[in-house]
Amino acid sequence: MEGETEIALFIYKYYKTTRGEFKDMLLSLTISAIVIGSVYGLIALGYSLIYSASGLMTFCQGEILMFGAFIGLTFFRYLEWPFLIALLLTMLIMFVLGMLIERLLIRPILSRHATDIYIVLATIALGIVITNVAQQIWGTHAVQFPAIFGVDTINILGTMVQPEAFVCIFVGAFAMLGIHLFMNKMKFGTSMRAAAMSPMAARSVGINVDLTTGITWGMSCALAGVAGILLGPVQGVSISMGSTIGTKAFAAAVIGGYGNMYGAIIGGLIIGFTETFSAAYITSDYKDFITYGLLALCMVFLPRGILKGDVYDR
Amino acid sequence: MKLRKIFPAAIPVIVAVLFLAAISNNAYYLTIFVFCGIYVIAVSGLDILFGYSGQISLGHAMFYASGAYTSGILTTKFGVNPWLAILAGLLVTALLSFIVALPASRLVHQFLALLTIAAGNMMYVFLSKATSITNAMAGIRQIPDLSIFGYELHSNLSFAIFTLLAVFLFLFIKLRLINSSTGRAFMAIRENTTAAGGMGINVRKYKIMAFIISALFTSFAGSMYTHFVGYISPETFESSLSTMLMTMLLFGGMGNTAGPILGAVVIAVINESLQSFNTYKTLLYGILILVAVLFMPRGCYGLVTDLGIKIKTLSRKLVKKNVKN
Repeated sequence: MEGETEIALFIYKYYKTTRGEFKDMLLSLTISAIVIGSVYGLIALGYSLIYSASGLMTFCQGEILMFGAFIGLTFFRYLEWPFLIALLLTMLIMFVLGMLIERLLIRPILSRHATDIYIVLATIALGIVITNVAQQIWGTHAVQFPAIFGVDTINILGTMVQPEAFVCIFVGAFAMLGIHLFMNKMKFGTSMRAAAMSPMAARSVGINVDLTTGITWGMSCALAGVAGILLGPVQGVSISMGSTIGTKAFAAAVIGGYGNMYGAIIGGLIIGFTETFSAAYITSDYKDFITYGLLALCMVFLPRGILKGDVYDR
Repeated sequence: MKLRKIFPAAIPVIVAVLFLAAISNNAYYLTIFVFCGIYVIAVSGLDILFGYSGQISLGHAMFYASGAYTSGILTTKFGVNPWLAILAGLLVTALLSFIVALPASRLVHQFLALLTIAAGNMMYVFLSKATSITNAMAGIRQIPDLSIFGYELHSNLSFAIFTLLAVFLFLFIKLRLINSSTGRAFMAIRENTTAAGGMGINVRKYKIMAFIISALFTSFAGSMYTHFVGYISPETFESSLSTMLMTMLLFGGMGNTAGPILGAVVIAVINESLQSFNTYKTLLYGILILVAVLFMPRGCYGLVTDLGIKIKTLSRKLVKKNVKN
């Protein structure tokens, strides 16, 4: 451990003398882009999961992320439970919340044969309600999420990086791989996709469509909750943390290819890099403008995204 | 025959005029009246897009803003006549909505919702950061009043009368549009896009048209807001404004004339009476949308008409019973 740090320090000094400060900034920017990109990717995974397993779209992932972050914060900071237990419990609560959303909100609308647009409106409204409920419980102030690990920062080539950043990246990659395998290799995932393609045909071969749809919503909410907890130590927890992240993650899912798990993470990274680097080198005022502009361009010229998401026409 | 057609339209006109006369010496009520009128125009515009042609927009605040800011900037910085400024606002909005509608006309529901949200956010970022053009968060102050033939619409009453006239004008335009072949094309696209295309309707053209017309309504409402309040700043044009317009439309009921009026007036009044509970305002939008989506898909107007039909059938049954007896 000791030796490794020394090597890192040496490399850092080497870089510093030969390439100067520029390289240093580039590295730290890259790391923060990857971190925020994986968080976007995690939420985008939730969008893609719901889409590929039920053909529906949700617009309240950002608010659910915020809610998850606050629940995690309550367990970890106020009740002082171990991090892993807080994380698992939050995931469980968010999973149940997701199933409830599907049961109480989505299914009644679908059973009335309403168009998809009502689902969009209902989830947007739900997002507003969640934000207000959270505001009543936890207040409007931004709260610092305590560090998960004992170490404050890790030195990578001279750039100080929070250890939580690596957890973000790791969890993002792990979730992408896990969900892809789950959806494509496991029987339950296959039945989920079947339920999305044709609910009636799926029912007739014995798939419990209601259950698969419910579990999908639960899983995507749990993912958003995890993303919230991971983002907490990096950005702090506040009521407004979800609103822009939700939209940007949606943009990530669209850019990567809607419904594609790898596309979600790639899209997340693209948005993360665009945002971080345009803020650093072009203008920090207009970083959101550039991000949304990228989305608009992508919708015009690459409507199916980079990885050609499978778009169902319902 | 013609009288029978005019008569149902005359009742709300008379009611509105009488109502205006009744509140004419209360400045506060007049202010609320003007705001109701502004929202009625904006929501009617949104109705043309969502209610009649079936395309959603969750970024209508951007058209409201383009109208408001064009008016504000031209009148304060260049001293342009307010009416010309409103006209310029309509032109700018037409251009802007055309640019948005070009890609939007190809997208299905959910992606359209995302694109309009993104475009609305882009507009907000532009308004709040472009200091040299929009004066950023400080906003634009001292915007001149509108004037008709040299008579300045300075008092609330005169502006309220102007608002009433504008509302009638725009509702008339909307009715004419809906009952024309263009309106029927919009509805055909809403019901079944593929079938509409098969019948020889140029789907893309009409979708873009619906977008632009809808944006023009909202832009005019924005310009009216500018000249009435005399001060604009970016916070007014946040995405919550788009949500509010959508709430009004859903709550009132879309695809008809009365629904948007009902929704705009009810929610504007509720909004005003909840002024002291500002934090609950957005919660109200959320709950109202949920209620509208879950329990009354055709809005208040749908509830009222359903009730009317029920009463009619009930009274008919009673009459039949009496006849039998």
